[in-house]
Amino acid sequence: MEIRPILSALMRSKTGAILVAVQVALSLAILANALHIVNVRQEVAARPSGVAAENDVFHLLSRNLRKLDNNEEVALQKRLAAAVRAVPGVVSVAQVSQVPLSRSGSTSGLSTDRKQSKSSANVAIYASPDSLIKTWGLQLVEGRDFTPSEIVDIDQNVTDQFPPQVIVTRALADKLHPGGGSALGMPLFMGAGEDAQQLQVIGVVERLQTQGAEVGDRGESSLIYPVRLSGDGDTLLTVRTEPGQRERVMKEAEQAVRAATPDKLIVRLRSLNDDREKRYRADRALSWMLITVSALLLLVTASGIVGIASLWVTQRRKQIGVRRALGARRIDILRYFLTENFMITSLGVAAGVLLALALNQLLVSQLEMARLPLPYLLGGALVFWLLGLGAVYGPAWRAASISPATATRST
Amino acid sequence: MLRYYFMLGLRSLRRNPALTALMVLTLAIGVAASVSTLTILHVMSGNPLPHKNGRMFVPLLDNGPLAGYTPGEELRDNQVSYRDAVNFQNSKMGERRSVMYSIAGTIEPQNKNLDPFGLQGIAAYRDFFPMFETPFLYGQPWSEADDTAGADVIVLSRKLAEKLYGNSNPVGQRMSLMGFQFQVTGVLDTWDPVPRIHNIASGGAFGSEDGYFIPFTSAIRHQVTNDGHMSCSGDREPGYQGTLDSECTWLQFWFEMASDGQRGELQNYLDSYAQEQRKLGRLKRNAPNQLFSISEWLQYLHVVGNDNKLSAWLAFGFLALCLVNTIGLLLAKFSVRASEVGIRRALGAARADIFRQFLIETTVIGLVGGVLGLLLAFGALALIGMQSKQLTVAAHMDWVMLTMTFVISVAAAILAGLLPTWRACQVTPAIQLKSQ
Repeated sequence: MEIRPILSALMRSKTGAILVAVQVALSLAILANALHIVNVRQEVAARPSGVAAENDVFHLLSRNLRKLDNNEEVALQKRLAAAVRAVPGVVSVAQVSQVPLSRSGSTSGLSTDRKQSKSSANVAIYASPDSLIKTWGLQLVEGRDFTPSEIVDIDQNVTDQFPPQVIVTRALADKLHPGGGSALGMPLFMGAGEDAQQLQVIGVVERLQTQGAEVGDRGESSLIYPVRLSGDGDTLLTVRTEPGQRERVMKEAEQAVRAATPDKLIVRLRSLNDDREKRYRADRALSWMLITVSALLLLVTASGIVGIASLWVTQRRKQIGVRRALGARRIDILRYFLTENFMITSLGVAAGVLLALALNQLLVSQLEMARLPLPYLLGGALVFWLLGLGAVYGPAWRAASISPATATRST
Repeated sequence: MLRYYFMLGLRSLRRNPALTALMVLTLAIGVAASVSTLTILHVMSGNPLPHKNGRMFVPLLDNGPLAGYTPGEELRDNQVSYRDAVNFQNSKMGERRSVMYSIAGTIEPQNKNLDPFGLQGIAAYRDFFPMFETPFLYGQPWSEADDTAGADVIVLSRKLAEKLYGNSNPVGQRMSLMGFQFQVTGVLDTWDPVPRIHNIASGGAFGSEDGYFIPFTSAIRHQVTNDGHMSCSGDREPGYQGTLDSECTWLQFWFEMASDGQRGELQNYLDSYAQEQRKLGRLKRNAPNQLFSISEWLQYLHVVGNDNKLSAWLAFGFLALCLVNTIGLLLAKFSVRASEVGIRRALGAARADIFRQFLIETTVIGLVGGVLGLLLAFGALALIGMQSKQLTVAAHMDWVMLTMTFVISVAAAILAGLLPTWRACQVTPAIQLKSQ
């Protein structure tokens, strides 16, 4: 193959080659990192919440305008839940203190030993007098659900003593007791220090994300109490409907709760999908921005290669004519330009891989992004080799079509 | 001569339209990407009260429990407890001072056509209004006597006032909030600072306007709960009084000093206050007591997120790529004009003349690219604004960014044009003329 002459020709006019190589290197570095970040964000947004049929779940928050005493408030909570339960199309209703992905709710520290002065995990606290396992279709992997006799009514203005029975998520159990084995008997304390309250794990669910759905096991660390909370005047109900009936049931549920009490209510409805969309909106915005930049990047790089290659073809018109006159076939000319481009692109790819790693290092250290896996670099290299060959094909074909007679005749 | 070169530049753009279009487009896209991300960064990290940066401070104390604390550990809190806030408020330090927290209350309009609705507002002291320079459409803030008495008075946002009372002046009217009757003392004109420095710690840096304002003392008297973050590291008794007595932090505090340079004075007060509290058995961690100016506060709370920085970085990487690309294209464009340069040189043009001519030509490209880039940036910002409510408020271009766009694009074009221009100057007239 005619690598030697190509190389020596390149050495005589380095500027263009270097410009193309720099473009390829810059694009590869940015592209690999951008696509990697997009992928990481997509994975984060695709994590399951633990709720089985997310499309069929919505939440209803109602606030009573008149201030109620605790007995009235508990009675109202029960009445509202019953009213929603009676709406046709409703599969299951649970009153609950907070819902996953909603970005609002409470967390608390847990420890595994009273001697600890600092808590070992921060968990989202779900409190429900109904079965969340049933309503949300959580997957029970160990132990059992709460029994009706374990359910306690708590007025948060009077006491903060919760019952000891809890259900935890698998991620939380694994984090607190990495050794494995049954989570049911493990020592667990609410809070930290001497006066931490001992808990009794009666069940483990496969998954239930927190209200924040944070990245990592923090977002999967949840705990459920068999508690009916009252005292702040709000009632939050979570509802699972028959498939496809959510929209209709949401409307009817609102009418049903309004009809269930003579008092004026403020009612707010939200589907779990709405919450999910809001939670990951920023991630999606960033992904789109990165994808747009990546597409433009490829376009600009391709146009740069076309530009420089066209320049070379114009500059070497005469030489091409001479070569053709001396017996070079079209395919030889074509091959010359393709090989030349491949060599330049390879140089750019090599520099780009190093640059991509350096950029990733910067992102990891400065902006807490994830490390770049190898396939992105390999994929990126392949993309730019193909892009280079594709971009140079047009100008190279034009060069090959130069007829020896016209090319050598003039001047 | 400049005019002539400028005309030449314009004419040369027409000579090779495809290449020129490509160049202008590349430059425009690069400029648009970097300017739109930079705008968002710029607006997000902006300070709505720059003239008060050396005068307004947020105090923070570390009142966590001693257990589990390692000295030197960084403070992770951003609010203060009720006890500290009340003591700060009574300290008479500085020109103005106000504690504040977010509240959510139900409003029952007198107009029976309107359903009751919930709305977020702020509980603060009278000083809040002059401190943050809120514009008043009608009336004025409540009086100091109202602060002391915990009177049921209220300042409405313009939006809420228009919703409840139409375009009439509602000062003096009574309205029902959270089941209590409040008297309107004033209405703010549209007040929507970006970022919302007064309430970042609890309500977020970007978001919707505050609906209304009531005296802090009134909110506490009615036991209005906090509608923002609360962090409790110690024990807390149940009930409202339990929260007030606890070391839970849920209030934001702002001091305004009479003039710049009084930071030391405030720091001294804060240190001696903390010392006093330690004698009472509080603040056992003995951690440093901190003051934050507005800009320090924005930084401390990470108002500009990593994602925004990432976008800006990538956009500038992209601009760099576009620059390299433009260099290549300019090189291509200029190199075919070697004979033209040869003739001009032979006719007596100095290298400096050639340099000037080609540089002006690239500047023309930069200007055209800048105009197009600006249009693209407006489009990009509109798109970005649609992605999230938070970004909508940030995605606005101001004059600073508008000028920046042109500076960036022209500078980029000139930078890109330097190498090709220099190469064009190197043309030796003799060789060019001989080969003709």
